[in-house]
Amino acid sequence: MAFFSITAFAQEEAISQTDSIPYKKNYGLRIGVDMSKLLIGATDENFSGYELVADYRIQKDLYIAGEIGFIEKNSEEDNYNFTTKGSYIAVGFNKNTFKNWLEMDNEIYYGVRCGFSSFSQKLDTYTVFQEGTAVEGVSSSYFEPKTVNLNRTYADLSAHWISFVLGLKVETFKNLFLGASVNFSKLIGATEPNNFKNLYIPGFNKVYVTNSGVSFNYTVSYRIPLFKK
Amino acid sequence: MKKYRFVFLLLLSLIGACENDDFCTEETTPRLIIGFYDLENPEEFKKAPLIVWVEKKDSIYQGVSLDSIALPLNPDSQNITYKFSHTKEVDQINFTYESEDIFVSESCGFKAIFKNLGIESSTSTWIESIDINNSIIQNENQVHVKIFH
Repeated sequence: MAFFSITAFAQEEAISQTDSIPYKKNYGLRIGVDMSKLLIGATDENFSGYELVADYRIQKDLYIAGEIGFIEKNSEEDNYNFTTKGSYIAVGFNKNTFKNWLEMDNEIYYGVRCGFSSFSQKLDTYTVFQEGTAVEGVSSSYFEPKTVNLNRTYADLSAHWISFVLGLKVETFKNLFLGASVNFSKLIGATEPNNFKNLYIPGFNKVYVTNSGVSFNYTVSYRIPLFKK
Repeated sequence: MKKYRFVFLLLLSLIGACENDDFCTEETTPRLIIGFYDLENPEEFKKAPLIVWVEKKDSIYQGVSLDSIALPLNPDSQNITYKFSHTKEVDQINFTYESEDIFVSESCGFKAIFKNLGIESSTSTWIESIDINNSIIQNENQVHVKIFH
């Protein structure tokens, strides 16, 4: 991330004089993969997932963009744990705000997405939360806490949301891009499991109390060049 | 200046995302509220200096004079026997109930509530009568069981 920013800002210093020379831009379909999910999946046994990203340039600085992915994640909280499993898709636009020097094709962009996920939640175990009872001034639970191995699956759940995206893309070799982006999402609607809650949604990430979420990705992508304009 | 705007926005949004919902602040498993009333004047509280415990466990109250007490129920069981000692006279009450686990929130997880509260058996050395005021225990805002003495 820091590496991308330095390269990006270093270029911007030298822009202004040469901006008027018209260089043709490569148009094409760019597809890539999120490296962070692969890396987390390889190191964290409670997570597995992948995400493919794609965008298509429709104007010099405007792209149709989207992500599609699959995630299986086991979340362990203090008093319960659950497994979320499902796939997601997000579609929207990216607007590049970075003024490129010569034929360079880097981006600092913002964008919007509509996201949709179809998933299941499996509530594995839980322990009933019971406030401690003070016995001789020491607060502890008076009875052995009740733990239930429920293993109940709530299937056919879905959620949809909107996201605001900020990101960078740097062309490192011809048509090969490294990218990083952060998504700020707001849940619009979801089917909630009975007597439980969607605390994690594939593609949306952890659901905070305000129904908002944040997610990141670090992508390597390749542009299949179609034409120049 | 323009190029810093993004960085600033990014930082601002990250701070906003780090909201803390790690502490359980909601009401969780309620306790059984028992009120002590005067037998001659059933509307009036009558304080009792009590020692209260479950057999083979530490006492929850140790001789403090109160007009009402809160006792935990065991969600893992369908009944519990509490012993009430009042000036060395010991009575015991066996409460029966059904428990139901309910999801509260991310930080609290699950709580139990209790239904169909009943009294299976009781002794009466100092306790004159027992009345179930509310057989559903969902919160600690009201008296569930009235003890007259």
